[in-house]
Amino acid sequence: MDKERLERLRKTTGVHLAMEAKETLRQMEEDFPVHPAAMQYFYEQFRIAYGSGGANEDGRKRVGTLCVQVPEELVRAAGAVPVRLCSGAHAFDQVGAEFLPAKSCSLMKATLGMLSLRSTAFSGTLDLVVNPTTCDQKKKAGELLEEFGYRVYNLEMPASRDSEEAREYWHRSVKNFGAALERTTGVRITKQRLADAIRATGLARAAYRRLHGLQQSRQALIRGTDAMLVTNAYFFDDLDRWTGAVNALADELEDRQDRSVFVAGKHAARILFTGSPPVFPNLKLPLLIEQAGGVIVADEVCSSSRLLYDLAAYDEQALYDMVPAVADRALKPCTCPVFSSSQDRIRRLLDLAQTFSADGVVYQTIAGCMPYDQEQRTVGRALAAANIPLLLVETDYGPDDHGQLSTRVEAFIESLRGKARKRA
Amino acid sequence: MNAVKRFLNNGDINRFRFWFQVAAFGLLIYGGFLAVDLGNSLPAFSCVFAESRAGACYLYPLQHQVNMPWAQFLGGRGVGFAVGLATFILFFILFNKAWCGYACPLGTVQDWVSKVRTALGIRFSLYSERTFRRLKGIKYLLLALLVLLPLGISNSLVGAPKLPHDLATAYCMICPGRTVLPIFTGDISQLAIDFSSKTMTVLTGLGMAITGIFFAGSFVKRRFFCLFCPMSALQYAFSKAGLLRLTKIGAKCTRCGNCSRVCDVGIREIADDVTSKNIVQDDCMMCFKCVAACPEEKCLTASFLGIPVYEATVEGFANRARRRNVHG
Amino acid sequence: MRYFAGIDMGSTAIKIALMDDEGMPAGRTAAPTGSHFRKNTLAALGLLLEEEGIDRSDVAYVLSTGYGRKLFHDADETVSEITANAAGARAIAGSDAVRTIINIGGQDSKVLLLDADGQVRNFVMNDKCAAGTGRFLEMTARNLGTEVDELGDLHRRCSGAPLPVTSTCTVFAESEIISLLANGHGREEIVAGVHYSIARRIVRLARRIGIEDGVFFDGGPALNSGMVAALEDELMRKVTVPALPQFTTAIGAATLARAAWIETREQVDA
Repeated sequence: MDKERLERLRKTTGVHLAMEAKETLRQMEEDFPVHPAAMQYFYEQFRIAYGSGGANEDGRKRVGTLCVQVPEELVRAAGAVPVRLCSGAHAFDQVGAEFLPAKSCSLMKATLGMLSLRSTAFSGTLDLVVNPTTCDQKKKAGELLEEFGYRVYNLEMPASRDSEEAREYWHRSVKNFGAALERTTGVRITKQRLADAIRATGLARAAYRRLHGLQQSRQALIRGTDAMLVTNAYFFDDLDRWTGAVNALADELEDRQDRSVFVAGKHAARILFTGSPPVFPNLKLPLLIEQAGGVIVADEVCSSSRLLYDLAAYDEQALYDMVPAVADRALKPCTCPVFSSSQDRIRRLLDLAQTFSADGVVYQTIAGCMPYDQEQRTVGRALAAANIPLLLVETDYGPDDHGQLSTRVEAFIESLRGKARKRA
Repeated sequence: MNAVKRFLNNGDINRFRFWFQVAAFGLLIYGGFLAVDLGNSLPAFSCVFAESRAGACYLYPLQHQVNMPWAQFLGGRGVGFAVGLATFILFFILFNKAWCGYACPLGTVQDWVSKVRTALGIRFSLYSERTFRRLKGIKYLLLALLVLLPLGISNSLVGAPKLPHDLATAYCMICPGRTVLPIFTGDISQLAIDFSSKTMTVLTGLGMAITGIFFAGSFVKRRFFCLFCPMSALQYAFSKAGLLRLTKIGAKCTRCGNCSRVCDVGIREIADDVTSKNIVQDDCMMCFKCVAACPEEKCLTASFLGIPVYEATVEGFANRARRRNVHG
Repeated sequence: MRYFAGIDMGSTAIKIALMDDEGMPAGRTAAPTGSHFRKNTLAALGLLLEEEGIDRSDVAYVLSTGYGRKLFHDADETVSEITANAAGARAIAGSDAVRTIINIGGQDSKVLLLDADGQVRNFVMNDKCAAGTGRFLEMTARNLGTEVDELGDLHRRCSGAPLPVTSTCTVFAESEIISLLANGHGREEIVAGVHYSIARRIVRLARRIGIEDGVFFDGGPALNSGMVAALEDELMRKVTVPALPQFTTAIGAATLARAAWIETREQVDA
């Protein structure tokens, strides 16, 4: 791409991106007036990231990651800052559409579109991009990223998580990754550094678990879209600051619980959201659900719960035990549909539906995502067998299907009314 | 009640277990000095060769008790055997396999050896899944021999000639408990080869070799010997009746593998089995490290007589993580 | 007397149904949607009330549904056309008789599965375009130089095998039909082919959620006997077509309006 065209593209895309972000934030803040005050921190983070300023550079190396399976503990132990690059911006989606196959999913088009612009506004200067070999589209992204001029590390992943062989392969892969990180940052991953990273990320995850636990409240204390913004902020926010902000939010929600301040009525349909990740600013479907009177009480997506739910434990404070611990944490409980079996994801969904008293499940497939599309069938059958209503939605980052989607979502929420009433 | 429960669930089982083991070791190995006598049907390696022990490991009397002609099993000596077995079972079901994790002196010694290893910063080794499955059968073979050899002294088994009397306590002769535990009472006399007969030479020679393997093995591998322990095999037969239980709610399990990874014995089912409620495997020693490592609310629970005494909770997990490795 | 209005603001037509206190029908009307949704709706409602001699103040509750529902701010409540359609089918045929609803509208088509209480259990809608909808039939009629309400007769007169119309897209199907005509094929065979093509598409849609006996077929195209015949063939089942299939959703909206009003009053009383 010649320089002048790149500059132009950056500029127009930047304008569209800011518009999108503004509109999503506007809908979130205005359509639902009773937000917890602690949410302001998160709105502000997005306003900064997508509007006025770029990422704060503090001299530390920045390592971009493309999927949840990258063990962030290792990145932090190597003295770098992980930045999750998966984008939800339609503006970037359109950039990616210029060079990717038409059937690629919006998330891939947006992410690669963003990276093709080499704009540092959102991600900062990336010293390394880690690309786990998850779905076929991500697998093939590595070479493209190299063409864009990034240093790429393809983190090899097994296709299954069930066999011991797969686990051993992954452990070796993660070990090599650690060495590559050390080469990038020049910082040795010592047992103390890794223990610190496990502790700090563990505390962040524990804070998320507090929020997650509060979402079980019989009457909703927080909107699912707000909760998604919180987890989305983890993509790029400073770790300790994020943890503090989440704990402050949880404190406020606990206080609101005592004072019976809720964000939705007793009869609001409780939704469990699953499928392709809703990444800011593409919160189209979650927003539609809550605008139609539903409330998302739990999710099973890699931009939220799958990103932050799991916690690593180790026995001996030594690299030989801690590296496998973070490797297992990233692989074993991961319910990403790229793995051969869907059974764990189904068990997880059934447990979430029960624990969070969900009235129904909304399953988002971003058009072009084969793994999620295919897993719809098995998941759908399991939910039907458990008598849990399910709405399957195939959509993309574009705004075209907004009208049709709103009808479908409203109809689904309306169909849950009886159930929600009985529950309440 | 809830406060007690929360206190327990937030607790650090490893520290509790360390001190409990120290106390149990002291009692079982030195209790004799204080005239403590817990009988001779203990489901732990409280070895008869350690003079000051507070009670005897059941495997020793068991070998003596089955060393009798078939007919006598119905007579007075048979009653002795039955009483011994019943006492063993009663002791055992009280604490189930926690005898291994919390009381067995030989187990405790292995944990101390591991502590030396970690202090030296040397890594542990793990079996591959295949090796693990292959090796775990050995304890049943040892248990079978442990009963069959004495039986074969008094009886002619499947038409074979009767076995020599030197095989009366063949297992004890090769058990590292016999050689290792007396050392703690200042007695190193068992660290020798008995040349009194060909059989004894072989057995005690084997015993010395196994002692060497015991130390080397437990240095590189957590709870190395337990995988082969015939006591563990015998216990497992009665484990389902145990009052102390370890249960799992499979629906809550994410199969993250924390439990299996911290498991000293390397049990995989604890992480991968999402259907069994009673999750105690033959190699389990009920140390409950898995419960402490589980971040899923009430997924793993240790209970006594149906009352939960230690449960996996998010809060407990987070508290343990917060307390660990605080520095700077 | 108190009245309730259900307004179905479809993409082609606005349908209004009135219901009285006892839940009996009290009038209905249909008008083209046009570009001024709100104005046209108000005009149609005014005209209907005038015809039936009902005062606007006697209309206790107005419920709007359909694709333009949110643009009609004069309604007391809005409900999606899926819920309204189910309510209408229930009111017309009774909840025992209906398990599956196939609705072909002006711009979309949908299949609804109802549970034993007549509540929507599952539903699917066609993807984003006009393929297999009323628009498709309008295009066919226009190209064959006839009216939509003649299509049923043409279908019945088809003696040979219907001609395959394979294009999914309305735009491509149009040129396909034109070339079929140019090749000297009869209008009857073309019409039957179009009906089968639409029917097959909607049955494929329905299979995604499963089809259960007790199929109710509504929406404007259900007036077309050829469409009904093709659908029955493709479904391999009999379907029930109400007397006024294009009004089902509006009637449902009126039923829901009455129910909502009763509920509000009960809450006030309590």
